Amino acid sequence: MNTLKEDLKEQIIEQLNLEDLQVSDIGDDSLLFSTDGVGLDSIDALELIVLMEKFYGIQVTNPDEGKEAFLTINTMADYIEKNRK
Amino acid sequence: MSFITAYCQITERSCTINGEIVSEKNEQSGESWFKQLYKELAVDYPKFYKMDLLAQAGFIGSELIKKADQDRLVTYGDDEIALLFANQESSADTDIRFKESYEDKKAPSPSLFVYTLPNIVLGEIAIRNKWFGENMFAVLPKFAPEFFVQYGSILLANDSKAILAGWLGILDGKIQVFVFLVEENAQSGIPLNKENLIKYTGFIDQV
Amino acid sequence: MTYIGAEEIVSPLGQNTQENFLAVRENRSGISLISDAGFNKESVHLAKITLIETSNKFEFLLVDILKKISANIDASCILSERTIVIISSTKGDLDRDIADPFGPSLVALVKRFKLANQPIVVSNACISGVLAINAGNNFIKAGVYDHAVVIGCDVISDFVLYGFQSLFAVSSTPCAPFDANRNGITLGEGCSAVVLSNTKDIFKNSPLKLFTGTSANDANHISGPSRTGEGLYRTVKRTLEKSEISPDEIDFISAHGTATVFNDEMEAIAFDRLHMSGIPLNSLKGYFGHTLGAAGVIETAISMQMMRNNLLVKSLGYSQSGTSKTLNIVTENMPSELNTILKTASGFGGCNASLVFRKI
Repeated sequence: MNTLKEDLKEQIIEQLNLEDLQVSDIGDDSLLFSTDGVGLDSIDALELIVLMEKFYGIQVTNPDEGKEAFLTINTMADYIEKNRK
Repeated sequence: MSFITAYCQITERSCTINGEIVSEKNEQSGESWFKQLYKELAVDYPKFYKMDLLAQAGFIGSELIKKADQDRLVTYGDDEIALLFANQESSADTDIRFKESYEDKKAPSPSLFVYTLPNIVLGEIAIRNKWFGENMFAVLPKFAPEFFVQYGSILLANDSKAILAGWLGILDGKIQVFVFLVEENAQSGIPLNKENLIKYTGFIDQV
Repeated sequence: MTYIGAEEIVSPLGQNTQENFLAVRENRSGISLISDAGFNKESVHLAKITLIETSNKFEFLLVDILKKISANIDASCILSERTIVIISSTKGDLDRDIADPFGPSLVALVKRFKLANQPIVVSNACISGVLAINAGNNFIKAGVYDHAVVIGCDVISDFVLYGFQSLFAVSSTPCAPFDANRNGITLGEGCSAVVLSNTKDIFKNSPLKLFTGTSANDANHISGPSRTGEGLYRTVKRTLEKSEISPDEIDFISAHGTATVFNDEMEAIAFDRLHMSGIPLNSLKGYFGHTLGAAGVIETAISMQMMRNNLLVKSLGYSQSGTSKTLNIVTENMPSELNTILKTASGFGGCNASLVFRKI
């Protein structure tokens, strides 16, 4: 059975078209938006907001809220645990 | 005299450069045709996977032409290559996907929405190559060779020295793509005129 | 020399140029709160033309504007083989046929007005209007045509609104270009046309002079503007060089000013790099909203009216500078001798375009 973090990585890879990445390539602590980390950009950040709603029922009303929550897989998992419906 | 110095044609099944077949669709593979072409290009550009089909078509065409014309393209200034593209259906292929993304109570997809403009392919090519030159995307009812000849000549008479041009017919599985390079100061090539564009594209449905 | 004139506008502010310019000089906005408009059925500020309720609004507007503009020029011009109609639009008649957004409307237009040449649609995001005017000018200078009728038209659709909402780019209040509290665009719809010609004779009212305009890509990001304003910087520089006009000859800049945090900041940086931040400047989007493919033409037409009336109009929605480089934003209407005006536009895909026009 997948953990939340594994699920999250799979969902991110699929939703964001990160074709050349595997789940194992995304560390729990990798900086999602850093070019040294996973290298996501501003449009990816918006897709993560859609992902939150689609898979976890969480409505992010302000993209800046997203910036804090989406730093790493760890912070995302924490955010989901706190806010999921 | 302006010459077409390289051209790339992509159909649903094949891809040619300057009239020679460089690739044919692998029907056994589950992978999309454009992804196959991208892998065969062997360039490291993961942004490709985020592009829609229109942008992927323009990207592949321009990369193949760059390969064919390697030494000459780098001699141009970063704003001397104009981008002149057109098609009949605009960004319809992606528009349909974007519309589906929000229908039936789903959420509109921002990564699809940003491709619901046909000129985004020009942006992708400009970003890839750091080209700051002229841009134009036109929507025409059929392939219009005269448009390319007239407007291409106009751009060259202004400050552009070369034009990367193309017809990107993409809709619901249809692929009718012809990307070509026009150079003002080339010594040889195919003269840029209506007859040659009709001949080399093979597009029978044109103005 | 290329002349530009006969400008016409249909928007929430009026059915013709006079009505529109009167509204603008009275600082009235075409923006209102429309209920149920958003993706979650929330109320959204939009600049909607409510007086026209028809399916095929896009086609209706094209036909209407061409009728109106025909009255401003020599009767034979529209039918002439030496005339090209260029349409600037991002989404055309999307709701009518998503797979063929321009076909049906253009067929109707050609038939109705017996146009001699197939119209060209320029679909290049929000720079389409300026780009289409530049293209018309280029065709005339090259001798391909003698006249060009450039029509900019876009209508509001759920498709576009929901898309901008997914980008969190829609303002919660009427848009405030360049303002410190700006938080996004207000979508608008409208239709505008200008006529270009190599002769003054076709115009019933005196035209203005149009110089060669240019476009330039940022080569940076497909939906975010360049942090250094590189593309806008290059197009303005090139346009001024080609026109042999120096920055200090520019009396007014009609900027793009969409009221997103990033766009307006980018423009301020570009104009500062060009040493043009002291020139009176406004955005018209506080009046018309962001009319996408129509913007470049509507805003050029209003700027032409400003020139004809020697009147700088207030940049509606602005009260306090919100950009790192300060611009000389017009805060109140002010009479001013306007001889030379620069119009700029920027859009998705990293594109930027500019043009200059002048009193004869």
